[in-house]
Amino acid sequence: MRLCSIATSAMILLALACVLNAQPPAAGPGGGRGGPGRGGPAAALFDPTGYWVGQITEDWKERIHPAAKGDVGSIPVSAAGRREADTWDPASANSCKAYGVGGILRMPGRLHITWEGNNLKIESDAGAQTRMLSFGTPSGQTGGLQGVSVASWDRLTPALTGFTLGGRGGGGGGSLKIVTTQASPGYLARNGVPYGAKATFTEYYDRQEIPGGPALLVVSVEVTDPDYLNGPYWYSVHFKKQADAAGWNPQPCDAK
Amino acid sequence: MKVLRLSLILLGCAASAWLLDAQAPAGGAAKGGPAPAVDFSGYWTGNMQEDGAERGAGPELVDYGGIPINEAGRLWALSYDTSRLTSRFHQCDGYVAPYSVRAIGNTLVWEERDPKLRTLIAIHWYSQTFEGHRVFWMDDRPHPSAYAPHSYMGFSTGTFVGNALRVETTHLKQGWFRRNGLPESDQATLTEFFVRHGDHITYTSVVNDPVFLSEPWIRTTDFYRQPTDPGAWLFPCDDSEQIVGRAPDQVPNYLFGAHPYLDEYSKKNQVPLIGALGGPETLYREFESKLASVSDAQARELTRPAPGPSATSAAVDPDPHDGEIHVLPIRNNVYMLVGDGANIVVQTGDEGAFVVDTGAGKLTSKVLAEIRRLSTKPIRYIANTSFHADYTGGNQTLKNAGSDPSVVGTFLTLNAPGVGATATIMAHENVAARMAGSLGNNQPTPPDSWPIDTYVAERHRQFHNGDSIEMFYMPHASTDGDSIVHFRRADIIVAGDIFNTTQYPFLDVANGGSVQGEINALDAILDRTVFEHSGEGGTLVVPGRGYLCDEHEVVEYRDMVAIVRDRVKALIASGASLEQALAAKVTTDYDRRYGANSGSWTTRMFVSAVYQSLKQPPRK
Repeated sequence: MRLCSIATSAMILLALACVLNAQPPAAGPGGGRGGPGRGGPAAALFDPTGYWVGQITEDWKERIHPAAKGDVGSIPVSAAGRREADTWDPASANSCKAYGVGGILRMPGRLHITWEGNNLKIESDAGAQTRMLSFGTPSGQTGGLQGVSVASWDRLTPALTGFTLGGRGGGGGGSLKIVTTQASPGYLARNGVPYGAKATFTEYYDRQEIPGGPALLVVSVEVTDPDYLNGPYWYSVHFKKQADAAGWNPQPCDAK
Repeated sequence: MKVLRLSLILLGCAASAWLLDAQAPAGGAAKGGPAPAVDFSGYWTGNMQEDGAERGAGPELVDYGGIPINEAGRLWALSYDTSRLTSRFHQCDGYVAPYSVRAIGNTLVWEERDPKLRTLIAIHWYSQTFEGHRVFWMDDRPHPSAYAPHSYMGFSTGTFVGNALRVETTHLKQGWFRRNGLPESDQATLTEFFVRHGDHITYTSVVNDPVFLSEPWIRTTDFYRQPTDPGAWLFPCDDSEQIVGRAPDQVPNYLFGAHPYLDEYSKKNQVPLIGALGGPETLYREFESKLASVSDAQARELTRPAPGPSATSAAVDPDPHDGEIHVLPIRNNVYMLVGDGANIVVQTGDEGAFVVDTGAGKLTSKVLAEIRRLSTKPIRYIANTSFHADYTGGNQTLKNAGSDPSVVGTFLTLNAPGVGATATIMAHENVAARMAGSLGNNQPTPPDSWPIDTYVAERHRQFHNGDSIEMFYMPHASTDGDSIVHFRRADIIVAGDIFNTTQYPFLDVANGGSVQGEINALDAILDRTVFEHSGEGGTLVVPGRGYLCDEHEVVEYRDMVAIVRDRVKALIASGASLEQALAAKVTTDYDRRYGANSGSWTTRMFVSAVYQSLKQPPRK
């Protein structure tokens, strides 16, 4: 009888543990609790707010100074994308197309990130752009250059299956994940390398603390675009935390 | 009942843990308990969709935009002639860790766990290119001492922080930030963050280099997972003669302001030269206005040293300066003793200790205590590589503490009293002559400290403790009496005052030193070294001062001395006086590594010695 109780209790515990771990599936690390609907500072896995200055340390030629027409750099553009890039004319181009969701993070400049209720607002002084990131169902977003962005906290949790109590879990952090669709066509690079209206942008924001240095906001972006890309385009950028608004200088879009 | 209670407690704990886990930490980085160990095991490929041309086919010359280099870094890069890669000592140079992670190719990651406890000991990060094998120690072990060897991959420790693996790396070798000559110094340190996003890794690297960077250089990139083994993991390299007949002391380089392809990249890509020349300003948006306002002619001013005082070394001092003697095992039964002036090397064995150099003599009792801890046998031989006091200061004490039974009772000694009662000191004859005051103008040292077993030809040899030990004469290097000592079986070369990692070479012109002899001596060391892989490992070289090295450090040091010689030579050829040569700041790109404006050996003294020994080479 006593053995039976032990076995029963153990089974109950096992079942409960499995239930507790049965969160929405994720592909290994990344993906997990804190999905849509859990917005606001109280649900944040890290503090993304404040002024952040972008450092142009990769693809410098393309980012700080528009590359020559037709120079697509390392972007996996399709033949159609290449043809479109070859038509770029800074004199007649829509001056803000390089400041859309696909290009804004690679622009030299600063970000100002704030909470707007439960949602996040990212302002960029380059092109004086504003993005709204909605936790849960987007409201008030109308597409346009910055598209419609859905945010979630991508918490580090074990995958769905298996008995993971006492495994790799612990007090880990996570990423801010943003998926953007419905953006109007724009440029991935300042020299007119295009993305189309069907493009999807999946961004992961991570905050890293450098010992003895400023915090970093690292953003890794996957762009998929059936119109102009041969396959996913991944890039990552970083921003250094500023103590204040020094250097914040919103400027209109500039096609050159 | 007890079981039920226990079950409820456990259940409560589990639920609480879940609830706590669901709480969001406020503030900066993710908080919480111990961060989970993320599994990075598997095959990964670096995403080349940023800086693809630079990382793949290779960068163009003089493309430094977006890199926070300082004046030293820029001038070092601008003096770099890619033909240097044809030197047999650079053909197999590996990639240093800050470059390796972003290099083209695949990576294999695996965990090393304690076989019984399953605790994580290390994460291995193995790159296809140059077989770059990094080990991230996860077991809280400390980083090595400042006098420990450096490697291309450095020494790394890791911790899990939030959702990231954070890795700290020190003890890197000198290498490239870019393959167009942009240098990374051996003083660089690296902080990295690895974050998994499903089958992607977002990678952030922060390089601090006090020698060549004005501020930390931060970059990010991505890796994607490969489901199958890409294979082709090996990267052998065997150097050979690529330019036959080139003198060994010729190091391809450009004089300041004379880079023949200075604006090739700039013109081709319509990038103003001021941008191509890099620097911390180029990282930020504000630089856009400067791109438009600074002319190429103005930018060219950055290709020569700026006027003003010379920079001084920003390197870590490898000497602990704690009044203690520190012992670093090198290989087999050979040890490096650090802490009393110049490095001391001790070989132990049944036949008694063989000691190379005896330090400054300030801590000799402690040196002796350490030698006795390493071996109960007496010191039999002492070899002096130089007559300088930093190398011979402990001669008297160590000699008198030892004995040389090999001469006791021999026919030649005729049982003379006292024979063999002390260790035998060996050196080049000029060391003995200068210590005795019979050569030059030096104050004689006590006779007990003089070498008695001297040589005048090119080589002296001794088989001891199962190793073949050779001393080679290096004429007119630091002085006219220098030797290097080669333990052939252990494959360790003791370089004495000819080579160090802390300052410009001490060219003691008054005592027969010269820059050309110094270069020849460094080349002579390289004639005897064999690397293990990618230009590192294999023969180890003990510097007079500084950390334990291999041939790579000797090559870089040799290059530096030869390049400075070339610059001074060009100035002399143009009729420059010593003051004009000093004003030309010919060492600007090396001053943050080796420079000094005060102390016993300043940059000014070094350049003066180079100038003087070129104008009036020592008589042979």
